[in-house]
Amino acid sequence: MKLKDKVLIIEDEPSIRNFISTVLTANGYDTILAAQGSEALSMISSHCPDLIILDLGLPDMDGLDILRDVRSWSNLPVIVVSARTHEHDKVEALDLGADDYIEKPFGTSELLARIRTAIRHTRTPLANGGIAQSGKFCVGALTIDYDKHHVLMDGQDVHLTLNEFKIVALLGKYAGKVLTYDYMIREIWGPKAKADNQILRVNMANIRRKLEANPAEPEYIFTEIGVGYRMRDEDT
Amino acid sequence: MCKPRQIPRALRDAALTAAVLAAAVGLCALLAHFAEGDTYVGFLFVLAVAFISRWTEGYLWGIFSSFFGVVCVNYVFTYPYWEFNFTMTGYPLTFVTLLAVASMVSAMTTQIKRQERERLETEREAIRADLLRAMSHDIRTPLTSIVGNTAAVLEDQGTLSAEQKRSLLEDVNEDAQWLIRMVENILSITRVRGAGVLNTEAEVAEEVMGVAARKFAKRFPETRISVEAPDEVLLVPMDATLIEQVILNLMENAVIHGGATELALRIVRDGDAARFSVSDNGRGIPAEKLVTLFDATSPAVQRGGCDGKKNMGIGLSVCRTVVKAHGGAMSAENRAEGGAELRFTLPLKQIKEETGDETQG
Repeated sequence: MKLKDKVLIIEDEPSIRNFISTVLTANGYDTILAAQGSEALSMISSHCPDLIILDLGLPDMDGLDILRDVRSWSNLPVIVVSARTHEHDKVEALDLGADDYIEKPFGTSELLARIRTAIRHTRTPLANGGIAQSGKFCVGALTIDYDKHHVLMDGQDVHLTLNEFKIVALLGKYAGKVLTYDYMIREIWGPKAKADNQILRVNMANIRRKLEANPAEPEYIFTEIGVGYRMRDEDT
Repeated sequence: MCKPRQIPRALRDAALTAAVLAAAVGLCALLAHFAEGDTYVGFLFVLAVAFISRWTEGYLWGIFSSFFGVVCVNYVFTYPYWEFNFTMTGYPLTFVTLLAVASMVSAMTTQIKRQERERLETEREAIRADLLRAMSHDIRTPLTSIVGNTAAVLEDQGTLSAEQKRSLLEDVNEDAQWLIRMVENILSITRVRGAGVLNTEAEVAEEVMGVAARKFAKRFPETRISVEAPDEVLLVPMDATLIEQVILNLMENAVIHGGATELALRIVRDGDAARFSVSDNGRGIPAEKLVTLFDATSPAVQRGGCDGKKNMGIGLSVCRTVVKAHGGAMSAENRAEGGAELRFTLPLKQIKEETGDETQG
């Protein structure tokens, strides 16, 4: 029998906590619940959950502090729950190492998909060392050949510039995960690059003109408004 | 906000006072060479004081110019020249006249200004009350249905079939979704009005359109959506969350109120602006609604769900508020081939302060 994954739900609203717990239990997860930050921190160390769902707005402490604390000693996947209009919180959480975010209000299928992706990512560790990666990444008709530095669409070479390739390669490496604008700019143009998103957006617009059938209805690289980009993976 | 505006105001008043008094003095000096007698001096200064009191704020400048006028009339321009003559019978009269004119005109001006402010405040209050009333109505309807439907399921004694329960819960879900969108719209308004300054960043126009289309497709899977964008990359400074909301509102309006099944989203370059449009194959917009379409207090809102559905008055007025705050314009028209097309423009580079909005009838 397959061992169930244990999910810690940190959420102060009882009704939302209850709803998430019910959905997860029904879908084959074990759940443990925490209503407060302090309680959550002790549960993380004593129960060793496989994944954390963290609401950023907690009564006793800032959700971001919990994230910082967890990240100081563990890579355990964290999905942050936030309100739509607080882009800033989401970006900060992602930059602090959250694996993903989900906007309130969310549907159950969306939540389950995020959880699957986040758990899969921690189970298949990537070779460290920036974008340098070997092998191939395939999704739909898109293939990223990391050895030959090629991106193929339906088997045809898509001629990308060096920076364009770096962007696609980076997104492919973390397929299914949102990469923030700042993170991508640092990875591609170096830590001293100006935090100006414009160059990234223009590059992305050009990549889409080469990869996507209709750049305005992308099938491979999705925009997360105010946050960053996400490459499609099998699940999304 | 208040401080930097008050300094130029005082400066402006001082400059105006100086200019008018200088003109009066100049005119007197000029006339002294041509005209007989000096009766005109008093009249000219009465006129100057009246003008100053009318055009400046408060009493200060008017009273100051009355004193100045008395000095000029008594000391400079009337016999005996360059000498004060307090015994002269005209002196108290001049002084009292000038002072009276100054304070009367200033008082009237101040009163008119205050009345104008009060009128504006009342009007704004009325709009707010209308919006609140419309919103309360809109919120109460789905809430009533949610409470009713959930109660029916909770109190069920085994008489409801699984299918009936499901249908009740589907309604609850739909109503709750609607409430969420309503709240997002209200939040959007506060985001525009509260912050005052928009938090804009140069975004690629098609990205935002694409995201909106994708979100909409999840919510309304039956609607066919096409998105068309130019080859050229259009960078538009905007608060993308708000513009996404605008596009979603337009699409939702077309489907829920226009009964559209197909939506065409298009972006074109229009001079120094990007023009976003949402056209549909629905029923179109009734002519009488076209003019006031984007008004929060239009009859469409006040009637509130007369067609049995929740109205979109608030959604569309959010669109207009957001687009205006971006320095863009909004318009709507019925297409010759049926359905409606709603458009808005956003300036490509710098955001301009104010642009009017057009509504084509």
